[in-house]
Amino acid sequence: MLWTEKYSPKSFDDVLGNVKIKDAIVEWTDEWLKGNTQKCMLIIGPPGTGKTTLAHLAANEFSEYIELNASDKRSYDILTNTIGEASASKSLYGEGLKLIILDEVDGIHGTEDRGGTRAINKIIKEGHHPLIMMANDPYSKRLKSLKPKCNTLVLRKVHTNSIVSLLKKICIKEGVEFEEHVVRNLAKRSNGDLRSAINDLEVIARGKNKITSEDLEFLSKKDDIVNIFDAVRTVLKSKNPRRIKDAMKVDAEPSFILELLAENIPREYEKVNELQKAYEMVSLADIYLGRAFNTRVYTYWKYTYELMSLGVALSKEETYRKFSRFTNSSIFSMLSKSRGKRDLKDRVAEKIGEKLHSSKKVVKEQFPYMEIMFQNNETAYDLAIYYGLTDEEVKLFRSRKIKIKKTKTKKPVPKEIKSTEGSDRIKSKTKKQTHSLAKVKNSLKEEKEILKSDNKPKERKKKRQDNKRSDTEKKSDNNDKDKSQTSLFSF
Amino acid sequence: MKLVIRMNGPWVEKYRPKTLDEVVGQDHTISRLKRYVKEGNMPNLMFTGPAGVGKTTTAIALAKEMLGEYWRQNFLELNASDARGIDTVRNDIKSFCRLKAVGSPFRIIFLDEVDNMTKDAQHALRREMEMYTKTSSFILSCNYSSKIIDPIQSRCAIFRFAPVKGHQIIRRLEFIAEAENLNITTSAIESIVYFAEGDLRRAVNILQASASMDEEITEESIHDVVSKAKPKDVRKIVNKALDGDFLSARELLREVMVVQGTSGEDMVTQIYQEVSRMALEDTIREDIYIKLIESIGETDYRIREGSNPRIQLEALLTKFLINAKAD
Repeated sequence: MLWTEKYSPKSFDDVLGNVKIKDAIVEWTDEWLKGNTQKCMLIIGPPGTGKTTLAHLAANEFSEYIELNASDKRSYDILTNTIGEASASKSLYGEGLKLIILDEVDGIHGTEDRGGTRAINKIIKEGHHPLIMMANDPYSKRLKSLKPKCNTLVLRKVHTNSIVSLLKKICIKEGVEFEEHVVRNLAKRSNGDLRSAINDLEVIARGKNKITSEDLEFLSKKDDIVNIFDAVRTVLKSKNPRRIKDAMKVDAEPSFILELLAENIPREYEKVNELQKAYEMVSLADIYLGRAFNTRVYTYWKYTYELMSLGVALSKEETYRKFSRFTNSSIFSMLSKSRGKRDLKDRVAEKIGEKLHSSKKVVKEQFPYMEIMFQNNETAYDLAIYYGLTDEEVKLFRSRKIKIKKTKTKKPVPKEIKSTEGSDRIKSKTKKQTHSLAKVKNSLKEEKEILKSDNKPKERKKKRQDNKRSDTEKKSDNNDKDKSQTSLFSF
Repeated sequence: MKLVIRMNGPWVEKYRPKTLDEVVGQDHTISRLKRYVKEGNMPNLMFTGPAGVGKTTTAIALAKEMLGEYWRQNFLELNASDARGIDTVRNDIKSFCRLKAVGSPFRIIFLDEVDNMTKDAQHALRREMEMYTKTSSFILSCNYSSKIIDPIQSRCAIFRFAPVKGHQIIRRLEFIAEAENLNITTSAIESIVYFAEGDLRRAVNILQASASMDEEITEESIHDVVSKAKPKDVRKIVNKALDGDFLSARELLREVMVVQGTSGEDMVTQIYQEVSRMALEDTIREDIYIKLIESIGETDYRIREGSNPRIQLEALLTKFLINAKAD
């Protein structure tokens, strides 16, 4: 359960601040229940100040209620049906009263939702039904005609001190240690939006036993992402073109928004054909991204935006009234987890590409074959030297150590064995392995006739230096590489 | 006693043809190129054709024969897709072309994978090509000439490289097998040819990979190599989607593409092969099979048009969410 739900007020007494408004609503509800018809209620206030909470608390008092999103066109079919039903079964004594809650009335689209406005006006005019409407913007033109017909209540932003005390309460209940200034900072940055303050707190405190100023830094980075999630939520939840367009005004790369949308479509849309349609839109949006990139005509982006916002939004048959947890795309965690490996791949592909006259892309296509070749000890050794790969780079193709089977090494063990344990790390390996490794090393050297002085104990130090310098040498000379590459055997 | 270990390097490089005469297939192209060598002059060239048919090999061999002893000094090889942006390409070309050829009649710039350059970059390249006509010739190579802007195409003599024919691949593989002293059956060679699909580089890679696995190379070893080299989990992805589990299918697809690094083109080919295998084995309904093939084809096309192959493939997976399995 989200903390915003868990700690939402369970009764009017729990509601923070706005005492007058609380009383007004309680009175309004009581009058309705006594059977006295009341004017409808219009609650105006910024996000996170408790409009919905108040409406829900009022709803608890009635036997039935229906909550609709006013900016959703479909709502009005439901609305008119409900009105019909409710008025038919209306009782004089409050029983069977159906509370109608209309959210986002300022989001009603002028021309397209004309039917909707009419429906609202009808309810208001009839006055048979308790009606609560909510809006964000007190100056919205769309409220002009409604205001005179309603009891208008204006909610203020929640005072920082009230937020601080609530956040502290939550921390204590959740067993989270906190510093005063962190909680105060959270409250301030929420700018009177209690819901976002609790959300922020949950983000940094859930599952932990302490919150510090470091967590705050994380939050400020998170702000942009939060905005993008709002855009994603709007696209997936709403079908209202104006609202969707507004929400899409976020500061982010279109490809990033597209990624997050695609990620969350199957979390919201339940029908297969909705999912298919929506993903078709995602696919088309991506094509315009590609065209924009390939031709450098970035005005194509506008089609990407339309397709991924309205296109995806209108792919659903109806808006779902459910709670969906929208998440970040798993791509990003995969990318960051595999970064090391991908960098390694790039580096190796570049190295190999130089030898094979190929681009990194072409080389990577050959990686699967190389992986197989590297399972063979001799081939692995051979190729590693040819491409000038370091120990770490070889690990890309094989996880095991490069080790030569005894049966394959037909040369007798040369006398200089001990001295070839040049690298420190080799010493720690089992003796058997060291021997067989040394054998190969030596036989290789003999074949290449670069044996010379390398195997004398006195030269050991020099050789170690050679190993260190190997990186710079690799590029210059291929044939001499086995000298610097002896450490290949040691991981 | 004979030493088993040989210093070999990759066979694709070891057995890369060193001269124009050695180049496998492409006889028509080679004979025309040899005429250029004879005349000691050449126009700008464009080599187009699929991967592994000898574009790069031919370019290097041509440069050697054209430029003679000092070919290395007068030959610049650039990869358009790796070079970090057009500016690097231009700077490299500029500083290379500014100097007059020494020891050769002119200089040659080989620019690989030009179709991966943006249109802007191609226009810039066009100007470079005009600026240095006196001192240098360009060889461009690409997979699809349709992705090259017209002004560049009109400035080049275009040579189309066809996929290498089966019998030519066989001859080359036999040549390598003999030189490497391999124990390989005829059917093994034939099955390499089948999997190589005209791509000689892949053929040689399959050969070396199987030689590194088995002493005796049989048809089974080839199948083994090819199935090991395939991107993993494609069957699982397809089946999960057909079972209606979109989220798991998508997650696995991402895993394969992001972590294992399989390319979009490879994925779409693998998915195609998997679906057509199911059709052959009658595990999928016929009508749905055709629909899926159409979707796969469309995705193949969109991958080239779009910006993110993975998004396109995720969209393809939604098309599998139908009750497709034959009972």
